[in-house]
Amino acid sequence: MKVLTQAQLKAWLDDLAHNLTLVAPVNVQGKLEYGKVSGSGDVAWDYQRTDMSPKTWLFPATESVLTVRQAQDGTQILEPPEPPPTVLFGVRPCDARGNLAIDALFLNKAPSDSQYARHREATTLIGVACPQMWASCFCTVVGGAPNSTEGLDILLTELQEDKQTLFAAQVLTEKGQKLAANMPGTEREVALPSPKLTAGLPTLRPSAEWQARFNEVYWQRVGDRCLACRACTFVCPACRCFDVRDEVASRQPGVQVFERLRAWDACTSEPYRRIAGGHNPRPTPQSRLRNRFYCKFMYYPQDFGSLGCVGCGRCIDACPVNIDILEVIASVEKMAG
Amino acid sequence: MSHSHPNPMKPNLATITGIRNLATGIKLLQVKLDDPQVSRDFDYQPGQFAELSAFGVGESPFGITSTRGHGEEIELAINRVGTVTEAVHRLDVGDKVGVRGPLGNGFPMDQFKGKNVVVLGGGIGGAPLRPVIQTILDNRADYGKLSIFWAARSPDLLVFTEEYDYWRAQPNTELYLTVDVRTPDWPHKEGLITTLIEGVNPSPENAITITCGPPIMIKFAMLSLKKLGFKPDQNWVTLEAKMKCGIGKCGRCNLGPVFVCTDGPVFRFDRVEGFMESFV
Amino acid sequence: MSSVEQQIRDAARQYLENGVYCVTGYERGPRGKVRPAFIYQASDVDRLVWGPECDLNLVNYVHQFKQPLRRGEPPPKVAVVVRPCDARAINLLVHEQQIKRENVKAIGVACTGATPGDPERQACQVCHERVPVTYDTLVQAEGEAGAPPAQDNYTDIVDMENWTPRQRLDYWLKEFDRCIRCYACRQACPGCYCFECVAEQVDPHWTSIALELPEKYFFHVMRAFHLAGRCVACDACEAACPMDIPLSQLNRKLAKEVEALFGYHTGEDPEKAPPLTTFNPAERLPL
Repeated sequence: MKVLTQAQLKAWLDDLAHNLTLVAPVNVQGKLEYGKVSGSGDVAWDYQRTDMSPKTWLFPATESVLTVRQAQDGTQILEPPEPPPTVLFGVRPCDARGNLAIDALFLNKAPSDSQYARHREATTLIGVACPQMWASCFCTVVGGAPNSTEGLDILLTELQEDKQTLFAAQVLTEKGQKLAANMPGTEREVALPSPKLTAGLPTLRPSAEWQARFNEVYWQRVGDRCLACRACTFVCPACRCFDVRDEVASRQPGVQVFERLRAWDACTSEPYRRIAGGHNPRPTPQSRLRNRFYCKFMYYPQDFGSLGCVGCGRCIDACPVNIDILEVIASVEKMAG
Repeated sequence: MSHSHPNPMKPNLATITGIRNLATGIKLLQVKLDDPQVSRDFDYQPGQFAELSAFGVGESPFGITSTRGHGEEIELAINRVGTVTEAVHRLDVGDKVGVRGPLGNGFPMDQFKGKNVVVLGGGIGGAPLRPVIQTILDNRADYGKLSIFWAARSPDLLVFTEEYDYWRAQPNTELYLTVDVRTPDWPHKEGLITTLIEGVNPSPENAITITCGPPIMIKFAMLSLKKLGFKPDQNWVTLEAKMKCGIGKCGRCNLGPVFVCTDGPVFRFDRVEGFMESFV
Repeated sequence: MSSVEQQIRDAARQYLENGVYCVTGYERGPRGKVRPAFIYQASDVDRLVWGPECDLNLVNYVHQFKQPLRRGEPPPKVAVVVRPCDARAINLLVHEQQIKRENVKAIGVACTGATPGDPERQACQVCHERVPVTYDTLVQAEGEAGAPPAQDNYTDIVDMENWTPRQRLDYWLKEFDRCIRCYACRQACPGCYCFECVAEQVDPHWTSIALELPEKYFFHVMRAFHLAGRCVACDACEAACPMDIPLSQLNRKLAKEVEALFGYHTGEDPEKAPPLTTFNPAERLPL
């Protein structure tokens, strides 16, 4: 395993930023999200868990799916440009597992989403393990861990040795190896510290037990206070629903260019399932909220064998009315007896 | 590069070759794919749908109402209810559109062979059922009795009226019509399709049913069929839930764990019965 | 006199035992966070709490109860715990014919502003009323007559007005940058109840679905204008925003303009129409 000092890590990142698009946690007016950095100096080093997940770098919040050019000489359909080679640094293990949840639908279920596949291919993920579970974290409840290597190309673990902060690098994939070719540091054996886990968390019940509880009054009550905003869905590293719309990009005499855009959307919002003509099968926030939880804990496992939640806890922090997914998990556990 | 990741959201260019009025607010569009190879490869089954792009306005899913082998054109019945359909209604013969497909699953016509088939079509819901009927008529000896129950809110909303005589004329084939509200010259029954079918009381013996129509009609039709003795594994439906991408990615059309666009739109009803909250 | 919390609970019990379908107040969740609570049975009223963290506008939830629960019945009666700012929303919605006053029982909490030591919110610092403008039950803390109503001189807005337009634009673009267009602000606002928001309308397609700065800028400015003369300054939007964007400043700027032009304060009187929703030919601005 390679062990780097902080200085070495920063130097390596500066080097990477010269040749590739380097994305890392950044502080935007007090909120932490993943943004493009020109070097290690722009990185917000001191973070527990960012407010926005890195999902937008693989599945952009707004993205052109294709461009249509209509002119006298005919109609052309043009593909969007290839994404540039990108390194996502500072990804927490939960976020990496979030990408795998999106892979399950976007890549592993045919047909493969070409935009997402291109982003995935062009991106290398460098994770940083969590030394502990934070206040709203529950990755262990959903099959994850603060030091999980799943979905990462390289995982860095911070450790203290003789009062010095060091980073031990586990290179996990071929992509990781390629990137780590010029990684500085010393090759040696080192004991990785175990992360501190939160005790007393509830147990997630299997999807069949969720299925049996679909019509419980509980779902009405927990959804009573839901505002039907999109905050939980947008901060979630595993949520992947989107809207598609054709929009005018430019209009000149004889030539019109339209973009087919896709943008994040949320099943919690009221117009999500409203069809032309006005019918809305999920007209209440309660029914929409129930669908969201069921998607993560029943539909996903039934369809893909994996969960649609990675236990990052962002939704718990973002929700203006404190709808708490961990509370929901605990309530289902209680209902199941 | 791009060929290693074919873009499933990319439509094929097609030209409108024919437009005719099918019913009030409903037009029948005939489109032909521009690329002959794509046209040849566009092999669709009854029940499948296509995503039609009115460029610059949007894309919507439509059940394919033509039957493969009956001409190169693909026929789509377009009910004018929203932004995209409004734009499609304003297109002319010769205009370019985009077509993606065929999408979704089709009816398991082979599984229906040897059985009596009961078809229930409400309003525009008749459109995806037309190729089912045509396939049975094209292979008449392979199927048993065909009982078609066709309904609409009023006579001017009935689709494919010009084919009724042809259907009636086929061996072992019956057609029953009803409208919610009749006009003075309406010679057939008045009332809901559920009243009609309960009146005719088709036998569930060796039969399957296929229903398509507005969500509320499907709900009550299933109740009627149960009353008439049809078992859950005998009833098939084709559903429409707000579909955007049509390829199981955008998440919109889920009924519980199934997506209407990829796991459907054709379902044996007992598979989706528990998730009608997402449909009705 | 019993504590504010106890008074709220007593009032809730009283209403539930006398035909009210539901009481909307606040409770404390397992993590200690305060959140809206819906109490359907008198036996549950002890869940209700009160404190400075109660910073959403519960009148927003009456929109859920506008329709009958069952066909053929009238809409249900509900009770809502309101601060003075929240109560102004009741008057607004009654005027805009969204609710009937008799269907909403307001448990009005006389506000002393925030407790010393707690960060006092902008809305509290400049609030005109310490006693709700409308209530069915008044709840007051013992011994506190309530501090005299503050005068709002809009000093923070005047400060910003002295910036150049470029400075103001830069400031707001920087604030909107971290907006995620989640619409929590709109959803938390009792004044935002359009069936189809301009920001989400398909036809006409007023604004792109893109979650980018031009769209976010459009959304917030548009929403502020649609609330001009209608915003009750409860700051629920700001409380709900997961990105801590200072939305109340936009609304306060427009409130200042409305006050200067029309001498109007939203929500004080259910008979008085918000200026921008009326057409009065006799009223002409000097141009």
